[in-house]
Amino acid sequence: SGELYCSLPNPRNVHFESINMKNVLHWSAPEGTGDGVLYKVKYSVYGVGKWIRKPECRNINRTWCDLSNETFDYEEQYYASVKAFLNGMCSDWMETTRFNPLTDTKIDPPMVNVSSTEKSISILLTAPEKWKRSPEEESVSLLQVYPGLQYNISVLKKKTKKRWWFSVSNNTLVVPWLEPGTAYCVSAQIQVTTPLLHSGFSKEYCVATLKDK
Amino acid sequence: SVTEIRSGFTAIKANIQARDPIRTLSILSHPHSLHKVKLLDRCCITHQLFNFYVDKVFKHCKTEDSFVNRKISSIANSFLIVKRKLGQCQEQNKCLCGQESAEKYKQILANYEGLNVTSAAIKSLGELDILLDWVEKSG
Amino acid sequence: EDALVAAPQNISILSTNMKHFLTWSPVTVQGETVKYSVEFQGEYEREYANESWIPICECSLITATVCNITDDISATVAYNLRVRADVGARRSEWGTLKGFFNRITTSLTPPLMKVIADGYHLLVELEDMGPAFQFCVLYWKKGQESRMQQKVVEEVSSVVHLDTMEAGPDYCVKAQTYVEAINRSSSFSQTQCVRAEGGTSMWL
Repeated sequence: SGELYCSLPNPRNVHFESINMKNVLHWSAPEGTGDGVLYKVKYSVYGVGKWIRKPECRNINRTWCDLSNETFDYEEQYYASVKAFLNGMCSDWMETTRFNPLTDTKIDPPMVNVSSTEKSISILLTAPEKWKRSPEEESVSLLQVYPGLQYNISVLKKKTKKRWWFSVSNNTLVVPWLEPGTAYCVSAQIQVTTPLLHSGFSKEYCVATLKDK
Repeated sequence: SVTEIRSGFTAIKANIQARDPIRTLSILSHPHSLHKVKLLDRCCITHQLFNFYVDKVFKHCKTEDSFVNRKISSIANSFLIVKRKLGQCQEQNKCLCGQESAEKYKQILANYEGLNVTSAAIKSLGELDILLDWVEKSG
Repeated sequence: EDALVAAPQNISILSTNMKHFLTWSPVTVQGETVKYSVEFQGEYEREYANESWIPICECSLITATVCNITDDISATVAYNLRVRADVGARRSEWGTLKGFFNRITTSLTPPLMKVIADGYHLLVELEDMGPAFQFCVLYWKKGQESRMQQKVVEEVSSVVHLDTMEAGPDYCVKAQTYVEAINRSSSFSQTQCVRAEGGTSMWL
């Protein structure tokens, strides 16, 4: 009969990968199925009684599906589920664990801008923006999402390999009284205390203080 | 204490939420989200919810997993500290309860009593991050 | 009839810098191995959960006479603790800690601290004492104790920058730990003074 026979192995490791609240569902292909497997995706808001299909991820052969738009409200929590199809057979629906965008997202390091004078360096940090639906939409900094956000900054004096640490809540730091004509490398990390989240460190940005006149 | 509650819950979140198969019901966030609660009512509802967890939830959450049980004990004892502080606020009339908060709490109890006690308790425990996100956001 | 096994005695707590250890005297049974098991009970268990006890599995049937209970004493409430002994199939009564233990009584030691002058920069290196600890660092120009400045250091990764110094005067620094969970501070470390232009740390 035309009815699908659901004995296909299940998609594996169905989970959200989230960076700055860009929430993408990922999974691995069912074991031993090779090419030709197609998938469909649905999601639900936790506590709300219905599953919603994602049309753009219907009969797809890739193993990811961007659900950022559907999981945009970070005051809600979500489940997502994937089903696989091959040669008239299908798998079971395989679900994620409960996804909480606020606590389960990863945060990018801040953007670091460093300038120098003869004896000081000025560091300007910019927190990443929350994912937005369209370029025209107003940007929301993660600073607004996580009010307790602060920055850990490391300043390395290249010549001596000495590293100093600073923790600041605002996004600027001036380090005065430095040695002229010397290279300093700056790297920064975001730290959120509630909930407990931290980004990786940015790459190092090096700048040299101007030479003595 | 809230930080310690959060870290205790994070340690058992996946385990506890996996024990709650009901996707279509929530104790705290539906039909009305905590985030819709007015500023004036927040203290009262927070106090009611901490009492709710201490009086009704934790005692029905015993599992076969020793690690989980110890974390639940840690969370429950930390809840006592916050509950006590909120109680002091109420005694000093800084945590007034109005009609809205009574309605909200009634809804939560109805959600809770709509399930059998163990399922309701485990679901409530699995929703601790909903409570903590809201409490921390409310500052 | 098998002799009874004595319950463990001299049960006490050693608690320093939010690390808590339960200790007791060994039970001796000639020619036998004695094993011990530990359980705890918080205020919640006493008042809301029928005075139930919770086993600490890392300290179940152990031969040592000490148990690290730090992870379970994780709220600032009064805890009960008890230990019993097992010898083969025989089991002792529980020996219970006299009185409660509340982590608010932990003893806090001043932090290890090293003050560094690097050019005109005043820096401090602090011992990492765990996530429960913050550090309150006070620094001032020698002789101007009334104009002390304070910095709260939470992340102790390595060398923390305090401030810049003028050339000439000594700058003095002392630090204490602060534990938010119990709202208590240690006493201050010894004061250390340095001077700008590569001066090395000098004890007062």
